[in-house]
Amino acid sequence: MTSEQNFEGVAIPVIAIGTALLLFSLFCAGVGASPGGVLASIYTAGFGSWYAWQNSLLRAAPLMLCGLATALPAQAGVITVGNEGAFVVGGLAAAAAGLATTSGPPLLCLAAMFLAGAVVGGAWIMLAAGLQYYRGVNAVISSLLLNYIGIALLLQLVEGPMRDPDSLNFPATFPLPLSHQLGRIPGTRIHYGLVFGVVACLLGWFLLERTVWGMKLKIAGGNARAAKLVGLPLGRIVLTAGFLGGACAGLAGMVEVAAIHGRASQAISAGYGYVGILVAFLSRQSPLRILVVSLILGAVLASGGSLQRTHDLPDATINVFEGLAFLSILASEALAGRLGFLTALFKPVSTEVADAKL
Amino acid sequence: MQSSDSLGNLGILVAIAGGALRGSIPYIYVSLGECLTEKSGRINLGMEGILLMGAMTAFAVSDQSGSPWLGLLAAAFVGGLFGLLLAGITELPGVNDVAAGIAMIIFGSGLAFFFGKQFVAPMAPQLPVIDFGQGIANAGVHAALRISPLFVLGIAVAFLMHFAFERTRWGLHLRAVGDAPDAARSMGIAVRRHRVVATTIGAALAGIGGSHLTLYFPGIWSEGISGGQGLMAVALVIFARWSPLRCLAASLLFGGAQALGPSLQSAGISGFYHVFNASPYLLTLVLMVLSCSRTRRLDGIPGSLARRG
Amino acid sequence: MHGPARVEAICIGKTFGPVRALEGVNLTVPSGTFHAIVGENGAGKSTLAKCLLGFYRPDEGEVRLDGVPVSTPAEARRAGLGMVFQHFTLAPSLTVAENLVLARTDLPAILNWKKEKERLRTFLEHAPFQINLEDRVEHLAAGQKQKVEILKQLYLETRVLILDEPTSVLTPAEADEVMTVLNALVRKEALSVILITHKLREVMAFADDVTVLRRGRWVASCSVGSTSIPEISSLMVGNAPLREQSARTDMTAGGAVLEIQNLSVLGDHGLPAVKDLSLTLKAGEILGIAGVSGNGQRELVQAIGGQRDIASGEVRVAGKPFHGTRADIRECGVFTLPEEPLQNATVPGMSVAQNIALRTFDQAPTAKLGFLLDRGAIRRAATAAVERFSIRTPSIDTPIRNLSGGNVQRAVLARDLGARPPKIMVVANPCFGLDFAATGFVHNQLVELRNGGGSVLLVSEDLDELMKIADRIVVMSDGRIAHESTRAELDLAVVGRYMGGHE
Repeated sequence: MTSEQNFEGVAIPVIAIGTALLLFSLFCAGVGASPGGVLASIYTAGFGSWYAWQNSLLRAAPLMLCGLATALPAQAGVITVGNEGAFVVGGLAAAAAGLATTSGPPLLCLAAMFLAGAVVGGAWIMLAAGLQYYRGVNAVISSLLLNYIGIALLLQLVEGPMRDPDSLNFPATFPLPLSHQLGRIPGTRIHYGLVFGVVACLLGWFLLERTVWGMKLKIAGGNARAAKLVGLPLGRIVLTAGFLGGACAGLAGMVEVAAIHGRASQAISAGYGYVGILVAFLSRQSPLRILVVSLILGAVLASGGSLQRTHDLPDATINVFEGLAFLSILASEALAGRLGFLTALFKPVSTEVADAKL
Repeated sequence: MQSSDSLGNLGILVAIAGGALRGSIPYIYVSLGECLTEKSGRINLGMEGILLMGAMTAFAVSDQSGSPWLGLLAAAFVGGLFGLLLAGITELPGVNDVAAGIAMIIFGSGLAFFFGKQFVAPMAPQLPVIDFGQGIANAGVHAALRISPLFVLGIAVAFLMHFAFERTRWGLHLRAVGDAPDAARSMGIAVRRHRVVATTIGAALAGIGGSHLTLYFPGIWSEGISGGQGLMAVALVIFARWSPLRCLAASLLFGGAQALGPSLQSAGISGFYHVFNASPYLLTLVLMVLSCSRTRRLDGIPGSLARRG
Repeated sequence: MHGPARVEAICIGKTFGPVRALEGVNLTVPSGTFHAIVGENGAGKSTLAKCLLGFYRPDEGEVRLDGVPVSTPAEARRAGLGMVFQHFTLAPSLTVAENLVLARTDLPAILNWKKEKERLRTFLEHAPFQINLEDRVEHLAAGQKQKVEILKQLYLETRVLILDEPTSVLTPAEADEVMTVLNALVRKEALSVILITHKLREVMAFADDVTVLRRGRWVASCSVGSTSIPEISSLMVGNAPLREQSARTDMTAGGAVLEIQNLSVLGDHGLPAVKDLSLTLKAGEILGIAGVSGNGQRELVQAIGGQRDIASGEVRVAGKPFHGTRADIRECGVFTLPEEPLQNATVPGMSVAQNIALRTFDQAPTAKLGFLLDRGAIRRAATAAVERFSIRTPSIDTPIRNLSGGNVQRAVLARDLGARPPKIMVVANPCFGLDFAATGFVHNQLVELRNGGGSVLLVSEDLDELMKIADRIVVMSDGRIAHESTRAELDLAVVGRYMGGHE
C-alpha cells in the first residue's frame, strides 16, 4: 500500500507534466512554431545558465511567499485567494513605513518596512479568515473582493496623498533612497527577498510538522469539530494562520517595493498573488513542495521574454503554457488511487529483479 | 459634455444612467452565467478568463469576417467550450473548483492575449445600436438612450432564466441537483449532465458578455479591457441571492456605481475615483458580513454550495 | 398497472471485495402484504433492499416482480418498486409541492403549476395524511419529512414500497402513526410493503410476515402470528455469546460533579433544541439519558463539550463554570465523546497515532520545551494504546478513516479512557454499529470508570444499554428532561410514554 502511494507520488506528476508538454507542443505546432525549440528555449531561459538561474530565483521568491499565503490558512481549513490584495497593501504599507524612516539608518528603515508589510498583509488575510470563522462569510469570496479593494486603495493613494509630483505619466510614491533599499546577495543579482522566501518555506514546514502549534493548526484544518471537542481555541488558530499567511504575501509586497521598484505604484500588482494560489494548490498546501514548485514556475515565468526574442511569440505564450500545465496537474488529482493497472504492469518486473538479486 | 453643462446636475444623472446601462452589460452576462452555474452546485471562478477570451474572439471574428453578429456567435461558442473544459475537469474526483477556476483565468487570458496580439486593427465592425431616444433633442439624453442590442438580449436572458428555473422541468431538475445532488440522483436525475450543461451555457453567456467589450463603443481590443469584471461574477450572484432577476438589478447597480466615477470626474470631483470604483466590492463585502452568520446560511443558496466549509 | 405486486427474490448472493454480504437469500412477499425484514447491524438488510431496487446487481440469483425479472433501477421504477431511505431524499430548499412534482417521471418540459397543484390537491384529498404544499422542506420536522417521502411514493403510484428503518428519526408516536398508515394502505390493497427494521415491536404490531437475516444469510421466514419477540430475537442473534455483564461494584453516588443549569441551546436551523434544561451528575454514577434521537441530545452533548454555543444557562463542573476550553477540560477532567466518532471526534486524514494523541500532544512527554513535538513519544503512546485496547489497524501510521467503525470507536476510547482517564465522561451512543464483543468492551470501560469514582453521562437510544449499565435514567423529550427514575424503579412502559412526549 505504501509502495503504491510512493509509485503514485511519482507517476501522477509525471503523467500530468507529460500531458501538459504534449498539449503545449500541439499548441506550438498549431501556431507554426517548433515545439522542441520553444520548450528548449523555456528550459534555457529558466535553467540554462547561471544568469538564467538568477532570473528564475528572482521570480521564485515572491511565488514562495505568495504560495504560503494560501497554504498556511488552508492547512487550518480556510481557503483564501486574497494573496494579490495582501501583496499590494503590504507593499503600500512598506513604502509608507520606509518613506517615514528614511532619516534613520538603512537597517532600521528596512526593519520598519518588513514589519509594516507583514503586519498589514497579515491583517488583510486575517480579516477574511476571521469573517469566515465568526460570521460565516465564505473566505474565497471575501478575499477575492479584498483583492479589488486593496488594488483600489493602492491606486487611490499613489495618485493622491502619497503621490510624488515628479511621477508624471506613471503615478507612484516618492522613491526610497538607494541606500535604504533591499540589497543583493553578494556576487549575484538576487536580492534578499529570496532568503525571505526560502526561510519562510522552511520555517513553515518546521512549524507545521515539528511543533505543537502546527499540530493544532492541522487538527483545526482537518476537522473543526474534533478540534473544538478537545478544547482547541479554533478562532485563535484560524486567525493566526490567516495572519501568518497574509504576512507572507505582505512581505512579498514589501520585497517588490524595497528591492525591485524602490517605490510603490500600480506596477507592484504584477499577478504574483494569483499565481501563488495555484502554487499552493499544486503543492497540496505543503511548504516544502512550495519551495520546489515556485522554483519551476519562476523559471517558466522568466522565460516569457525570451520566447519573443527567439521565436517571435508573444509573452502570453508562457501564460498558455502555465494554463495548460495547471489544468493538467489539477485534472491529474483524479488519478489518485486509480493507477492500479500500471502498478500491476510494473510489479512483476520489479519482483523478478529483486529475486534475481537474491 | 456640453449637454451636461446645459442640463446641470440632471445632465450628470443622465450620464450616470446611460453609463449604468452600458456598463452593466458585461455584469449582466457574467452574473447570469455564474448564477446558472451555481444553481447546479458548482462555482466558476474563471469567468474573467472566459470574458477576455470572448472579447478577443468576438473582435477577431468580427474583424476577419466583417460581421459583428458572427463575432458574437463565435464568442458564445468559445465561451461554451471553456465552460465545457472547466466542467469536465471539476467533475473529476478530487479536483478543487477554486483552483480550477483560477487556472482557467490564466489559461483564458493567456490564449486571449496570445491571439489578440495579431489584432491591431483599431476597430472591428461594431454591433448596431438600438436608438430608443429618436426625436429627443437633448444630446445627452439621446446618447444615454442609444442602447446596445446586447442589453435587450441580456434582459431577455434574465427573464428566460427565471422562467426556466420556476416553470420548466429542466429548471426544477437543475435546482434539485444544486440543492441535494444525492437526492436528485436517487430520483434518476442525471446530476453530472445537468452540472456540465449549466456550466457550459453559463460560460457561453460570459463569452457573449465579453463580446460587448469589443463590439461596442469604444470597440477596441486591449489586454486591460475587462478590468476585472469577470472576477465580480461570483460576488454579484451572492449579492443577488441566486436569482436571475436580482442579478439583472445588481448588474445595473454595479454598472451605475462604475459609471459614477467618470461622471464625477467630468463634473470636476475626482478625488476618490478609485475608491469609488471599488465601492461595489466594498458594498458586497459589507452586505455579506451583515447577511451571513455562523448558524444561519444565506437565503436562496444552493444546498451543495452552502455545505462546504 | 395499479395495485400491489408480488415480489420474489430467489437465492440472492452479493460479494463486496472480500466480504460476502449476501448468500443464498430467499424472500417472497405475496401481493398486498406487509413484510418485515429484521436482523442485526450488518446482517445484509440494506444490501438486500438495494438488490431488490436494482441499485446493486446481485452476483447470483434474481429478483422478480409479478414473475417478471427486474435488474436495473429503471426497470424497478417502471415495475412500480419504490423506496423510502433512512436518510431523506428531498431537496431541502424546494417546497413540498416542488419535491412531489420533481419525483414524477412523466413530467412535461414546461410546467403548468396551476394544473400540477390541482393534481396534487386532488391526490392529497385521498392521501392518508395532510401536509402544506407550499412549505419549504428544510422547515419541516423530521416526522413531516418522512411523511413527504411516503407521499412521494404514493404520488408515484408505487406498487411495492420498501422502507429502510423509516422510524429511526421519528418519535414513537410519529412512528406509530406512519406505521398505521402503511398498514391501512396494505389492507386497502393499495400496495405491498417491505419494512426493514430492528424494532421488533413494530414488526409484531404492523407486519403480516417476517424474514430474519443473520450475517448475510437467510435464517427464517414466518407469519407474525406464529412467532414471538423472544423467538425472533434469538433467531437474529443466533448462537452468539450473551453480553457479558460488567462487574458493577455497589457504591453510593457522591456529591454533584457536573451541574447543568437552565441550559438552552439552539439547533442547526436556529430553533431551540435544548430548552431550559437542568441536570446534575454525581460522582461515581452512570446517568443515562434516554430518548428518541432528535430531541436535543446531540445539541446537549455538543454544548457540554464546547462544540456548540450556549444560548442561555450554564454548565458547571466542581462548582465552577465550564466552557470546554483546553484548560477547562484538563483541569476538570471532562471528556466528551459524541456519536459518529469518525466525523465528530477524530481528524479522519490524520494517523491513528496522531488521533490518539489529540488530547495530550501539547503536554510532556510529547511536547518538549513547550512547543516542540516529539513524534517518537506520540508513536510510543499509540503503540501502547493499540495493544491495550486491541485496536485492529494495519499500522499506527494508517489514516484513521481507513479503520472500521468499531476500531475507530476503540481508538477514541483508548484516547479518552487510556493513559489519563477523565473524572467525567460525556458519551453519546457509544455502541452504534458495534458488534457484541465491542459493545461489551465499551460497557466494561464505562463501568470501570464509574467503579473508580468517575462519572458518566451516557446518552443512548438503546434502552437495553441504559438498563444494563446506568444507575439513574432520565428521559429527554423535546429538549427537556421529561422523566427521571433509578434503575431499580424503572418502568419501561412509563419511560416509553415519556419518550414519545405523551406526558
